[in-house]
Amino acid sequence: MKKIINRPEDYTDDMLRGIYEANKGKVKYVNDDLRCYCTARKKEGKVAIITGGGTGHLPLFLGYVGENMLDGCGVGSVFQSPSAEEIYNISKEVESGAGILYLYGNYTGDIMNFDMASELCQMEGIETRSIVGADDVNSNKDESKRRGVAGIFFMFKAAGAAASSMKSLDEVLASAERAKRNTRTVGFALTPCVIPEVGHPNFTLKDDEMAMGMGIHGEPGIWNGKLKTADEIASESLDTILSDMPVEKGEEVALLINGLGATSVEELYILAGSVFKILDGKGIKVYRTFVGEYATSMEMAGASISIMKIESKEMKSELDMPVSTPFYTQV
Amino acid sequence: MDRMKVEDLPMLFESVKVEFEKEKDELCRMDAELGDGDLGLTMSKGFSALPGLLKENMVAGDVGQTLVKSGMKMAAVVPSTMGTLMSSGIMGAGMALKGKDSIDSEGLVTFLSAFASALQRRGKAKAGDRTILDAAFASEEKAKAALDEGKDLAGVAKAAYEGGLEGVEKTKDMKPVFGKAAVFEEKAIGKPDQGAYAYTVLLRGLLGYISK
Repeated sequence: MKKIINRPEDYTDDMLRGIYEANKGKVKYVNDDLRCYCTARKKEGKVAIITGGGTGHLPLFLGYVGENMLDGCGVGSVFQSPSAEEIYNISKEVESGAGILYLYGNYTGDIMNFDMASELCQMEGIETRSIVGADDVNSNKDESKRRGVAGIFFMFKAAGAAASSMKSLDEVLASAERAKRNTRTVGFALTPCVIPEVGHPNFTLKDDEMAMGMGIHGEPGIWNGKLKTADEIASESLDTILSDMPVEKGEEVALLINGLGATSVEELYILAGSVFKILDGKGIKVYRTFVGEYATSMEMAGASISIMKIESKEMKSELDMPVSTPFYTQV
Repeated sequence: MDRMKVEDLPMLFESVKVEFEKEKDELCRMDAELGDGDLGLTMSKGFSALPGLLKENMVAGDVGQTLVKSGMKMAAVVPSTMGTLMSSGIMGAGMALKGKDSIDSEGLVTFLSAFASALQRRGKAKAGDRTILDAAFASEEKAKAALDEGKDLAGVAKAAYEGGLEGVEKTKDMKPVFGKAAVFEEKAIGKPDQGAYAYTVLLRGLLGYISK
């Protein structure tokens, strides 16, 4: 393991200390707990959106707390859920009279803790709704059992835009649901990552191999085999996505090409080029493209392709809403 | 004893802690056959912390809030599935008892019933799935019947424990649906579910203090 750290067990808290110092006035923590990550610019009367999950995926999850996006984030240790108490304490801080939407990835530990926090909120009369990102097509045939990966970005954008337009809790939830319904992702890994406290890679791949369908915690994919070209990878990924969620000729989509941590931005654009060629051939229009690191797995090499089908004008304005967070800016 | 006040809670769960310490190795052994093998460690870690947490988070005159706050802290001590389930049960029981200054025989039934429904909400299992719920429901049912018969606090606690044991017995013939046990289906038949068994350890601890 080669990492710039002090002690493996301090990985998450040392990272957080750096983030708070670098972004004073924008984000803060509450209850003397670094893991309770909150916006420092609370807006009265707005639906609060809280996410959460393990460390190791920056800019996911906390990176999307900021202007026109999210209001709080429960920060777990590397690949671990935040605690119910942390989520509850964040809830009490960022809630401002219009209720809270919990929006996070479809993982058992996170679900248990967010549900527990939601019950605690209800006991105090704070209204909450929950929705999980579950966009990873290859992780399960059953949509409700799919893992949440990079496609959650589209849900963050949609819900964030709805909340900043001062919509009601149920309307914000509906925007998140609409983004979810129309989003699919396929990911693939080329090299593993190392959990600092474990000290060795979470799986192994030969030098000339890739893992199609691997999850952002190294969950096994659908095949491991010889590394394919960008065109071939794009083609297989889009086949998977479009057979799960058909997009007709003439329909529009948003495209997210996401790097998993160690893959160069150059390669991401090569992949983007391959995807454009295929979509163009099918007569599918790309309304807006996002290329970069949106949901990583520390130093894992690889990428993911997410497609969100656009079914209404409103979805476009949600996509186009400018956002500004310490980790992500869209103008 | 006909009712337990907030001040009794740390002692009540001290008794539970002692039972889990006694059963630590047995629970690990049972779990190693059909699961991760760390159930005994998780349970004794969580329930060892609970009496202290109840003291630190005591809300004067409110049994419910004290349980909720302590259960929330306990969840952070044992973040594994069974740890989260047990903590959820404590919190759920607390929510149902919010504002109450003590637990009498009727309160104990409320405690058991809310504990069981919190387990079900969190774990999303149902009766017959060979989980902790099969002990929790059986215990709740027998405790309710005892209350209807006019039994006192100790009588209800005794019925709850007996009901739990009967529930565990029934899991021997159930097919596992959840967790790693489902992978070892063949091995599971004829053996009691370790989660259900853990629930009776909790009940035995409660009974031990109440009938003292």
